[in-house]
Amino acid sequence: MTNILDDYALVSPLRYRNNWLKIAIVGFGVLVGVSSQSFIPPFAIALCMSFTTVHFGKTSLKFYLTILSAPAVFVLLSVIIIAFFFGSGTEIFGFNIFSYHLGVNTGGLEMALLVFSRTLSGMSCLFFLALTTPMVELFSVLKATKLPDSFIEISMMMYRYIFVFLEVAWGIKYAQTVRLGYKDWRTSLTSLAMLSTTLFIRSWEQGEKIFISMSARCYDGKLIFFEEKRPIRANELVLTCTYFAVVLALWYLTRINSIF
Amino acid sequence: MHIFEGFLPSPWWQLWFVFSIPVIFFGMYRLNKLVSEKRELLPLLAVAGAFIFVLSSLKMPSVTGSSSHPTGTGMAAILFGPAIAAVLSLIVLLYQAIFLAHGGLTTLGANVASMGIIGPVFAYVIYKAGMKANINFYVVVFLATAFADWATYVVTATQLALAFPAEVGGVAASLKGFLLVFATTQVPLAIMEGALTALIFKYVIQVKSDALVELNVITESVLNKLKGAGQ
Repeated sequence: MTNILDDYALVSPLRYRNNWLKIAIVGFGVLVGVSSQSFIPPFAIALCMSFTTVHFGKTSLKFYLTILSAPAVFVLLSVIIIAFFFGSGTEIFGFNIFSYHLGVNTGGLEMALLVFSRTLSGMSCLFFLALTTPMVELFSVLKATKLPDSFIEISMMMYRYIFVFLEVAWGIKYAQTVRLGYKDWRTSLTSLAMLSTTLFIRSWEQGEKIFISMSARCYDGKLIFFEEKRPIRANELVLTCTYFAVVLALWYLTRINSIF
Repeated sequence: MHIFEGFLPSPWWQLWFVFSIPVIFFGMYRLNKLVSEKRELLPLLAVAGAFIFVLSSLKMPSVTGSSSHPTGTGMAAILFGPAIAAVLSLIVLLYQAIFLAHGGLTTLGANVASMGIIGPVFAYVIYKAGMKANINFYVVVFLATAFADWATYVVTATQLALAFPAEVGGVAASLKGFLLVFATTQVPLAIMEGALTALIFKYVIQVKSDALVELNVITESVLNKLKGAGQ
């Protein structure tokens, strides 16, 4: 079923590193990746982030490649459309369907490659964050923003209940499956509806219960967590700065080669 | 339909943030007001958000054989109204980006616009109009969810087409391309999701109808009529 990446983040050795440093790395990668004009910087970012996740984060390579292929369908479909519709230049190949000519030219192919590389770099940055930083650590970052308390409270409680409900949902789904609840299309629809309803009713009742139990413990609209201080180490800083410098240099060198 | 990280080029992802952020702020303002009036709603909204997340992570049997996910934002719009649905879907989308690597951070604005704002607004308007016109409750739920899905799909295709206009024919030509390709999965999926949501509401009315009355989703008289018809 669904891979909750948070489970992997909890056991990652990179979990106990400074959150702000990790967020800076991810933010940098995402922004440079999306604003680069050539496919080289995004590929470099993707390579560095994947190496960091697999080598320093001790994620198994096989698992990493499996999750990286998840967005493949959406990306490939969209990239193919871009290749056909976008750009100018000499045509590489083309064909006719229903008296409608479709062709891929160099400009389109270049654009498709660029978009593909940007998505790859963005995904590898997100996976780095997902696989090394559990959500619990990110709440302190969320609290530092000036967003309303009610929003942050809801996010934190939602996080807790996602796991409670996932467990309930999986349990029910297994029970339904062994009773042939998903044997064909029609029964699956009914089973899924029953499962969702049970989940809805459970969540409603749970919502009433936590309010009572939290009020009994003097809840006044603010949950407070313990935050550990984790200073950035020198070697981490050096490595990050080198990475930033290399990527920025690549970005600078390839920026003239613009296709826009 | 999530647009993945890095897919939208530079002016477009910022523009979609510009579109989404005011709506989200309005939603947060509404949320704050609602929660300060009725404090018991806060845990309820949190579990509702968790419910949306779990619902959207369940796999749904699709007609073509591939699996798809029900989004659940249409249901949130019917239950809580579009402003709060937008805030809840922002949190859900953020968690999906971080937990499941579905969607992304720079494309968050665009995804919130299509799935969290425009889709739910469609669902809400159709739901309110249908209930006023006295159409059967389940039919209205089905229509609201299905059209919300289609609105989401058209908006996503438009977002992609605006960012990548075709050389010949401009935005219109590439919009046609994106619409055609995604239609294969999205058209049947929306019908499935509408049917699923209508079925969910049917069971909820059988088992826990007071919850719906409390949220002002349906009035007592409609409920009695539905229960009377079921027996």
